[in-house]
Amino acid sequence: MDITTVSAKSLITLDIGNTITRALFFDVVSGKYRFVASASAPTTAGAPLFDVTEGAWRAIEELQHITSRTFFSEKEGLIIPSTKDNQGVDIMAATMSAGNPISVVTVGLLDNVSLLNAQYLAHTTYSKIMAEISLNDRRTSSDRINLLTEKRPDLIIITGGTNKGASKSLLNILESIGLSSYLIDESQRPHILYAGNEELQEEVKSGLEKISKLRIAPNIQPVLGKENIYPAQNELNEIYKDVRIKQTGGIREVLSWTDDNFTSTASALGRVIRFLSEKYEPEKGVMGIDIGSYATILAAASSGEETLRVFPGLGVGAGCTGVLEESSLEEITRWLPLKLAEQDVRDYIYTKSAYPASLPTESEHLEIEIALAKQALRIASKKTIPSLHKRSAASSSLMPPIEPIIGLGRILTQAPTRSQSLSILLDGIQPTGVTTLALDQNDLLPGLGAASDINPLLTVQVIESNTFLNLGTIIAPMGYARPGTPILRIRVNREDGRTFTREIKFGSLTVLPIELGEKVSLHLRPLHRFDVGMGGPGKSGKVNAVGGSLGIIIDARGRPLHFLQDQEKNWKRNETWIKTLLKYE
Amino acid sequence: MLSKVKHIHALTNIRRERVLSSDGHVIVRRMQKVTPTDVIVVAPLMAKYLLLDIAQGLNVTPARADELLQRRAGDELSTGDVIAGPIGLFQRVIRAPFSGLVKIAGEGKVLYEITSQPFELQAGMEGTVTNIIPERGAIIETRGALIQGLWGNGNITYGVIQPVSNNLNQELSAEQINIGFRGAILAAGYCSNPEVLEIAANIPIKGLILGSISSDLIPAAQSISYPILVIDGFGSTPMNSAAEKILVANRDRNIALNAQVYDPFLGKYPEIIISQPNQPEPDLPIETETLSSGKRVIIVNGPQAPQIGTIDYIYPRKQLLSNGIETRTAEVSYGHEKRAAIPLSNVEILKE
Repeated sequence: MDITTVSAKSLITLDIGNTITRALFFDVVSGKYRFVASASAPTTAGAPLFDVTEGAWRAIEELQHITSRTFFSEKEGLIIPSTKDNQGVDIMAATMSAGNPISVVTVGLLDNVSLLNAQYLAHTTYSKIMAEISLNDRRTSSDRINLLTEKRPDLIIITGGTNKGASKSLLNILESIGLSSYLIDESQRPHILYAGNEELQEEVKSGLEKISKLRIAPNIQPVLGKENIYPAQNELNEIYKDVRIKQTGGIREVLSWTDDNFTSTASALGRVIRFLSEKYEPEKGVMGIDIGSYATILAAASSGEETLRVFPGLGVGAGCTGVLEESSLEEITRWLPLKLAEQDVRDYIYTKSAYPASLPTESEHLEIEIALAKQALRIASKKTIPSLHKRSAASSSLMPPIEPIIGLGRILTQAPTRSQSLSILLDGIQPTGVTTLALDQNDLLPGLGAASDINPLLTVQVIESNTFLNLGTIIAPMGYARPGTPILRIRVNREDGRTFTREIKFGSLTVLPIELGEKVSLHLRPLHRFDVGMGGPGKSGKVNAVGGSLGIIIDARGRPLHFLQDQEKNWKRNETWIKTLLKYE
Repeated sequence: MLSKVKHIHALTNIRRERVLSSDGHVIVRRMQKVTPTDVIVVAPLMAKYLLLDIAQGLNVTPARADELLQRRAGDELSTGDVIAGPIGLFQRVIRAPFSGLVKIAGEGKVLYEITSQPFELQAGMEGTVTNIIPERGAIIETRGALIQGLWGNGNITYGVIQPVSNNLNQELSAEQINIGFRGAILAAGYCSNPEVLEIAANIPIKGLILGSISSDLIPAAQSISYPILVIDGFGSTPMNSAAEKILVANRDRNIALNAQVYDPFLGKYPEIIISQPNQPEPDLPIETETLSSGKRVIIVNGPQAPQIGTIDYIYPRKQLLSNGIETRTAEVSYGHEKRAAIPLSNVEILKE
């Protein structure tokens, strides 16, 4: 559908990250919405300016310079909507991930049911769980009051009790929450999100509304075994917005530019991934991965179900010491393709964490950052896999088949080679079966997510305009064998009738040199009951595939990828794999 | 490009807000002179509360318990004071197990705040109180030398600075620490030996300033009782020349060492302040500036860190680094006639 000049609405999206504020400009080109340009500037949410607008202004100023289009004037500020002489922009939207994570106390009845739901909900945004309260914790009312007045969380998430279920126990806990809120200075009182037994909503309102910033959502678990998380997730996003408005200077001005189109970067990513899953094949699902300076986000959607996990403090800049806290140094260095002194690696990680915007100038330091990205993604994947299986009713420690998997974040999109981007995704996610790894080359997804509510056509048309770079189709057989054992036979049928076959050995990474965009038909015949996602172990099948920028990659290294005891051998093996990919750059 | 500013000044005006996050009692007055260890505001650190179920304790209904209450919200309690009762044959009462203040009383329950030890917020620097922030703290100003650090172990002290030598470019060794340093704040190049930190604690020294520290020493440095402040970063790099010059020039002078935990988002930097109130008054330093030719910068990451240099030229377009990364860079002259293309994101403007 072509867009007329009259109906066209140009758009700027701002993404206020922890380190960088990015401005993206979209407009109509030849009758279709297209991404036009991006620009960035250091984020100014924190010290010394404490005002996000300075970074935003500078990013827009840079955009103005790149596009030669005037977006603001000294006199009027931002020009919204655009004028007849093509100055300014029609709509703006903003996403944000900057700032310390919001502090949360989760409250539930039982550890393994309602508290898990509250934790899951908290992890859909940039939050840090400071404490948990449940009936199992043996705390007295006084203990709970003291805990809450000491922690002073930004948010208390209360879940628990199915509808028509337990109420008295929950009311006891609610009394402690009410009393502690009363004791905390009014300006510091926490937000409260109640998503528990719906029969208690009135009592919750009467007890907590006057002494706290209360939001009520439908019960996360209305009946046992059934979850309804999205309404609470939306309320949580509103709370995130409120907390950021209170904590961050300049947000109100950004809201006035964007007409309130403001959301967390994670929420926007989740939204666009859901959008994409509806557009592609819903049953195959879509996954978006954002490896940022401070946080890593995994968003997946299939058949209308969304999984969103945010990992603040797990990143490749400000969050890189978080990777070190969650794993041993050896777990990071085993991803390296060369030997580096452990002390040097640790020192570099700390330096990078202190100067998150700084860039590696040496090859060794770049390899450390790539290893950090792989480990951050590995940690995030492992923690997300159970939620993904919950949705598919299967159970495994492996990543379920999802296609495509799209990566973004500077470590992926600004990596010097495509092999580096692909290897981060491949090693970090360890996909199974047949999938496609793609790159959101311009880091557009959160911006498109923010736009999807106000201009869905823009989101659709920009996505259709080759926004994503296909890195490669991945075939990852599941199973184990002795290294060197043949585990898969592949016959490749090209469109021009030419065919060739390959025998794949366990432990190898093989590239089939298929040109970018070339369509082929693959016949996969697994051996030794290996599973290539064709319906079970040992099952053969045909699959249509498209060559990516690195062709088609057969990852026969096993799932999960096993490491060798001897680190020297790991480094050598990594070097071999990297060289295999680099041959096809 | 907007750049952060690293402050290493031989003389500047220093203004710091020292406040609590909750209400307290400010005990300094405007224009009062303070030293770093002077207390400026006192508050109950972490108020503890006790919820007493009077109805359950007296085995009566909540309504009846309310009738038996002898204390109301706002009443002060001493240990053993009767809160409710007496009732029954044995004249049962509920007594206060601790002294405190009743916050809420009713519906059969009493919530009271237990009297706790107050938290005392220290000035952290020598200077003059120029403004009071009611119930929260004060603004303190002074003029003197300021060195901004990168890492601190959370402790504060005030004492005499003793650089271990005039060149702070070497590793601090156990042999260098002797009894002559007792009670002093040591300054040295870098430290990579945990035993050195222990030996210094046994002397005992009052504080330690390092150019850099091996990152594997961080857990030990966090648990050590004296303040440790790291100026430049992690590893075995010598102290930057500007900080070295100031510390060596101020040997034997009193300094305030505030090794507070680094929080760049909140603008909390560990810092060293050497008050020189009799010097002429300079301007307050600026906090951000745009990178341009001629600006003095400190290189913060990469093999040239923490060298200080001058921007000769900023390339208008992105340049390719040897590792394949494309980024905006500047030609920076540093050291003795050395020059390199440094990513703009790897330098901070230096204010000396």
